[in-house]
Amino acid sequence: MMQGMLGHFKELDSTVEAIEALKKAKLGDLTVFTPTPRHELEHAVDGPPSPVRRWTLIGALSGAMFGYWIAIWASEYWPLVVGGKAISTWIPYTIFGFEVMVLVGALSTVAGMFVNSRIPRLTMTVGYDPRFSHGDYGVWIACAPEKHAQAAEILKHAGAVEVRGER
Amino acid sequence: MSSIAYEPKRPNIATANVQLPAVKDYEQVDNEIAATLAPTKAWFASLLVAIGCLLLGASAWIYQIHQGLGVAGYNPPVMWGVYIITFVFWVGIGHAGTLISAILYLFRAGFRTTIYRCAEAMTVFAVMTAGLFPIIHIGRPWKFFWLIPYPNWRLLWPNFKSPLVWDVFAISTYLTISTTFLFIGLIPDIAVLRDREKNPIRKAILSFLSFGWRNSEREWRHFARAYLFLAAFSTPLVLSVHSVVSFDFAMALTPGWHTTIFPPYFVAGAIFSGIGMVFTIIIPIRKWFNLKHYVTLNHLDAAAKLCLFTSMVVGCAYLIEFWIAWYGGVKPEQDYFWNRVFGQWWWAAWIMLTCNMILPLSLFSQKLRRNPTWLWILSIFINIGMWFERFVIVVPSLSHEYEPWQWTTYSPTWVDYAILLGSFGWFFMWFLLFVKQLPVIAIAEVKEIIPPRMKHADGHHAHGGH
Repeated sequence: MMQGMLGHFKELDSTVEAIEALKKAKLGDLTVFTPTPRHELEHAVDGPPSPVRRWTLIGALSGAMFGYWIAIWASEYWPLVVGGKAISTWIPYTIFGFEVMVLVGALSTVAGMFVNSRIPRLTMTVGYDPRFSHGDYGVWIACAPEKHAQAAEILKHAGAVEVRGER
Repeated sequence: MSSIAYEPKRPNIATANVQLPAVKDYEQVDNEIAATLAPTKAWFASLLVAIGCLLLGASAWIYQIHQGLGVAGYNPPVMWGVYIITFVFWVGIGHAGTLISAILYLFRAGFRTTIYRCAEAMTVFAVMTAGLFPIIHIGRPWKFFWLIPYPNWRLLWPNFKSPLVWDVFAISTYLTISTTFLFIGLIPDIAVLRDREKNPIRKAILSFLSFGWRNSEREWRHFARAYLFLAAFSTPLVLSVHSVVSFDFAMALTPGWHTTIFPPYFVAGAIFSGIGMVFTIIIPIRKWFNLKHYVTLNHLDAAAKLCLFTSMVVGCAYLIEFWIAWYGGVKPEQDYFWNRVFGQWWWAAWIMLTCNMILPLSLFSQKLRRNPTWLWILSIFINIGMWFERFVIVVPSLSHEYEPWQWTTYSPTWVDYAILLGSFGWFFMWFLLFVKQLPVIAIAEVKEIIPPRMKHADGHHAHGGH
């Protein structure tokens, strides 16, 4: 559904008001644009928790396993025998386990953020305005054409300075 | 409108105890920070000086490759010299960035907001600089990749019990994660620049670098979560990296090196030196870029307290080293420490002690903590003092080991000095290029501090932040 209405707001509380009214009216899915993260918007949208944490956990565990594995496997494959020392030694190899855990865990966190945020994005898609990075707020509601009038009315009533239909 | 007046679930990070009264709205933030990107004659002149220093260092390195390591000041058994000293120095500089951006983020220290971008960029360029020195030091730089474990036709693998291989993993992980952390934080700010840009070529480049970021609540939600985890990863990483660097020394049975105090001592020293370099960089930037109302005296005051604290930790470590040598009762260790302070290397040790222990005590004075000129002068002393700290760790130990026939001296040559100067050229060249291409202050985070525009200004207070 790429049809809908975009409301452009100057004030934060107007934006929150519009989000709450649109959610109540159940007209369609909302996308909110904000120049900086705000708790007010986070609460109004009440989105699900970010699943990035799962990417982090899986990446970190995989990295730790790989870090230990590469050190142990290489030591066994090409043993450098030092008198009185074990071929594979857990304490120094924890450095590799830790470093690779951080490396893979952090990179998979970034991958999780990209996938869930749906970036990289080649175009700005509908419903974006450069003013949203500058200082203004935007509320995009994806809805069928017959609901546009009602959505526009809610946006205007909440205090939108500009309302436009997009497709 | 009822939902706007609520208590936030968690404290705001950017605004904690921070006020920017001279910054009124989001537009002002964009305009003033974007204005710093316009190149000036002074910037071009600084860049030329940096490139000049870099070329001098690069020429000296080429000369050394051609002639061999004999042109450096190595004097057996002092086979670690300026290059290893400078390696540890730059790795140390790289630590404050992650401390400020990650550790202070987790501790909700609001004063980091306007200085962390500079510190993060400094970290990346400092670690890039540090990474060159082991390669320069090995003399045959084209063989440095032998340290990396990869399947090869020789069927040889590096010795995973060697601290030098630990270093490869620690430093390369640190560089990767620091760069990632810097770049992820930059994405929303690059989007701001993209949306302001009129030049189509620059706009296309900025669009590519911003990955199509469009400030949606969904993006911010995942961004905040990812940023938190990156900070959580970076915090133990920063502690591990200089601990691993300290193992290069502590694993050797050399007087002055073989001690368990080294990891925390190195980490504290690294953070101290990094904060010194942050002052060296941020104070001119706030002046020349007209950002005094962003990086306020309150920010400098708070950072100076951190500087004082780390100086005292480092000073405590210096004194404990002497105590360990006395209490341990090992004669070569005691001789070494005596030689360090009252013998052959007294001048280097006293430069270290004066710059790192004595002068920072001035920061007990609030007046001096809030005096940018003094902070900048002090930061230069700290930079010098921390380079000499590494000199004092490396050279006196190797020149005064167990057997008297091993005792010798060490003097760097012009090649050592030229490559040292070149490292500063390399570092500042990247930093100067950075400050005119990307924002030196985090635009999105500063906006969190600014009260948002409200339709109803009747007591409904907003709480921002991620």
